[in-house]
Amino acid sequence: MTAVTSPRPPTPASRPGRRRGPSGLDRARRREAAALVMPSLLPILVLSVAPLLMGVLLAFTDAELVRQPDYQFVGADNFTRLAGNSLFWDSFRIGMTWAIAVTLLQLVAALGLALLLNSGLRLQSLTRVLALIPWAMPPVVVAIMWKMIYSPNAGPLNAFLGSLGLPDDINWLADFSTALPAVIVVGVWVGMPQTTVTLLAGLQQIPPELNEAASMDGAGAWRRFWAVTMPSLRPIVTSITSLNFIWNFNSFSLVYVLTEGGPGGRTMLPMLFTYLEAFKNRNIGYAAAMGVVLVVVVVLLLAVYLRSQFRDDRAEKKG
Amino acid sequence: MKTRGVSIAACLTITTALLASCGSGDAGDDGPVTLKFQALSDQPAAIAATESIVEDWNAEHPDVQVEIVPAGWDGVYDKLITQFNGGAAPDVIHYEAASIVSFARDGYLADLTDLMSDERRADIPEGILDSVTVDDQVIAYPTELQSYVVFANRTLLEDAGVEVPTGDTMTWDELREIARATTKGDVYGLGWGLSSPTAAFMSLAPGFGGTYMEGTGEDVTLTVGEGEMALPELVHDMAYEDRSILPVTMTQSGSEAIASFYAGQTAMTVQGSYQAANIAKDAPKDFDWVALPPLAGPEGPQQAANPQTLSVNIDSSHVEESAEFIEFFTQTENLAALNEADALIPATTSAQEALTEKLGDENGWSTILASGQNFTAAPYLFADSYAQWKDTVATPAYQRYLAQETDEAELAEQLTSGWDEITQ
Amino acid sequence: MRVLVRPAQYVALACYIVFLGFPLLWLVSASVKSSAELNSLVVNLLPQEWHWNNYAEALARQGLVSSAGNSAIVALVSTALVILIALPASYVLARLKGAIRAAGVGWILVSQVFPVILVVLPLFLILRTIGLTDSLLGLILVHTTYTMPFALWMLQGYVAAIPVDLEEAGAMDGGSRLVVLRRIVFPLLAPGVVATAMFSFVSSWNEFFFALVLLQSPENYTLPITLSTFIGGEGKVALGPLAAGSVLAAIPSIVFFSIMQKKLTGGLLAGAVKG
Repeated sequence: MTAVTSPRPPTPASRPGRRRGPSGLDRARRREAAALVMPSLLPILVLSVAPLLMGVLLAFTDAELVRQPDYQFVGADNFTRLAGNSLFWDSFRIGMTWAIAVTLLQLVAALGLALLLNSGLRLQSLTRVLALIPWAMPPVVVAIMWKMIYSPNAGPLNAFLGSLGLPDDINWLADFSTALPAVIVVGVWVGMPQTTVTLLAGLQQIPPELNEAASMDGAGAWRRFWAVTMPSLRPIVTSITSLNFIWNFNSFSLVYVLTEGGPGGRTMLPMLFTYLEAFKNRNIGYAAAMGVVLVVVVVLLLAVYLRSQFRDDRAEKKG
Repeated sequence: MKTRGVSIAACLTITTALLASCGSGDAGDDGPVTLKFQALSDQPAAIAATESIVEDWNAEHPDVQVEIVPAGWDGVYDKLITQFNGGAAPDVIHYEAASIVSFARDGYLADLTDLMSDERRADIPEGILDSVTVDDQVIAYPTELQSYVVFANRTLLEDAGVEVPTGDTMTWDELREIARATTKGDVYGLGWGLSSPTAAFMSLAPGFGGTYMEGTGEDVTLTVGEGEMALPELVHDMAYEDRSILPVTMTQSGSEAIASFYAGQTAMTVQGSYQAANIAKDAPKDFDWVALPPLAGPEGPQQAANPQTLSVNIDSSHVEESAEFIEFFTQTENLAALNEADALIPATTSAQEALTEKLGDENGWSTILASGQNFTAAPYLFADSYAQWKDTVATPAYQRYLAQETDEAELAEQLTSGWDEITQ
Repeated sequence: MRVLVRPAQYVALACYIVFLGFPLLWLVSASVKSSAELNSLVVNLLPQEWHWNNYAEALARQGLVSSAGNSAIVALVSTALVILIALPASYVLARLKGAIRAAGVGWILVSQVFPVILVVLPLFLILRTIGLTDSLLGLILVHTTYTMPFALWMLQGYVAAIPVDLEEAGAMDGGSRLVVLRRIVFPLLAPGVVATAMFSFVSSWNEFFFALVLLQSPENYTLPITLSTFIGGEGKVALGPLAAGSVLAAIPSIVFFSIMQKKLTGGLLAGAVKG
């Protein structure tokens, strides 16, 4: 570890004048911390926390989006009503399948790609740009483009399968068994650049000396990956996985344009319910309750996940 | 916590009201009035037609200038609901009846009943006017409509020895017969893009006496009886007994399903009437096609009307001027020009006649325009929970039925129990 | 066995590139096809006849070029703001324990989970009160605020990956905390900062919903809004021109990526450590 840093005189005695009591140091640190955090606070408070609080509070009212609204505080009524909404909970299950599948596949696929991009292959700068292409496609056309690719009778995917002698009449987005997997593939595709770049940056951050040292100890590529790469990458993997999960759970417009929730409701995501309730039914109070429930469930899941990650971290440090 | 919650909610309310009221106080008394006209535009020809109408108005009315704010169909609902709630909506709003009704019910649209001229009122067929009348108030001028039309490949019909139907209407049984007769070899009789089946089934239900809903607002009851089930059952029988519908088309959108029609895989296709213009443009050079007469069920050829509309923001400081502009916009020659550009059916009888006279039989126009008198107001337009029921209950239920995952009884049961759950 | 590793890596990379790049290739192909060909059952990568007219039609659309300018301004400024603000704050988040961290992490998560559709109405009212609806500045602030959680979250992940010993070593050299930050922490973070900047840029460049509801005047529209006007009601899509417009819209992103990806590589890191 120390080998990475620049040469330095490592004696605490070299700066006796700065020696202070622990409490003084703490206070100074806290002041520094405040100065560093402050600039981010104002826009966040005004443009994010305030609207967010208003949104949460609406969940306890019977607010509707009418002109000159007049609404009442109704306590937990919205939540009891929601508990009995079986359609919502059905879609909740689909949403979980979708979010977990996409997040995991994204992670595995992006980790593989990031390792490839980091392993000194030729044309590295070109392939790195190509790997970001899903980012460059304007989102308004992403769904339209994938619909064309999946088209049962005019799409390149089936034409390609047909040329290999495989069945070429699969109706990807409309078949009850392939629709959800098909949209999951699009979800993975859309999120890949994000995860890849993040992991690639994480890989770049690992001091090469660590790998060299492990090599010298005789560790093979596989051992090095698990002994050096993964532990160093762990905080970043944790961060991007939690965020990916949240985003995937929250997204619905992509899937909605691809399948409109079909066939037969197989791709109906829970956020679609919130949207319909908030904007189409204009029951913003009830919709806010849906939002709050989604937040609570997701935050609880993440808390469990993050906790286990931190615990592993600590265990590792001790060990 | 409790009190704070209420007070923040109250603050929000007050801010809305305040902002809404300051929003209307701009412009001032001197100088020309400027009206913001949010126009939905996609086809270049229609954009040009709209611009030319607005230019004419601006030239004639130096005191009331209209400024076009272009917006896209994609997301305009979200944009409007935010604008209305934030008190920042434009003066004149272009949209469609099925989506604008909820804004009217929430109090955001000006009552145009007394501002619409008698001449215009008499010119709009009753069913179409009803579709923009909410609680006895006219809340929009209808402008353009589409109907469902059957387009046929004349060559394939003649090869199968079928006489191309003529006359004022064609029954669904005739359609079924022709589909059966033309189904042979690789050719299917019919292609129908039913990926979002609800709109098609509900728009065509009036011909079978199906109404689906009764009442308005929150007080709506859903019935799924013989009239409502007739069309889904007919499609089901054609698909699985006669095997005369190309299966893949039933999972596609209309514009996707039309490719099989061009390719000669289907002899007929049910499409929105505006597709006539696309067929003329996109079909292979030697493609011989015809628009068949309007479909009629046992109750007649009615279809539910869902016209595009022009409405006025109730908080506009120039409601009257806005209505005058719309009145100008919907004059016969203007509506005719706009609908010709969009390949849609004008919402006024005089503009329909003007177009028929101008375009004659070219590209099936006369048949399509003739269906402009068959529109009727659809009760579901006025039901609060329709949009949610359509997306979360009806569409999945119809898709399951059309994919043979469920039978008639289960379909009817799912439609009604889903409605009960949503409206509980 | 060893000999096979490199070729296998190239094959794997090629598969990735095909998977990720094919949709763009198909988009380019659609952008040079006529609407007759796009509406046929013929599947060809190369068009039967080249239909460059789509590009002319896309460019003739009202405001496509000027909205690209707006998008560039909004994306670049909000990216700069996000990095400037989030970099120091993320350091605090990663290194300090206690209430600040808990509140920070809590807000980051909740703000990302809570549905945007429920936030947008209050947000609109607030922006209206301070006169920032229908302005690029307002949109910049919104994009900055809503990209911030991601930036903070990711950057604190990268900070956490920097061994604390390094910093302590730097502090023992007699550097004040800010010096330590500038000389040791920030340079080590460079790849993470680049990755975060790329994300901020792209998410702002592509962002649709806030731009849709906040911007009222056509002269303020951003690119996604202008492109969305190509899509008509009832699923009518002018596919050719839309594809052409989208290809044009993709070019700035690709140029930006080409510039940025160089910074993702290790050169910076090595240099920084030496200094």
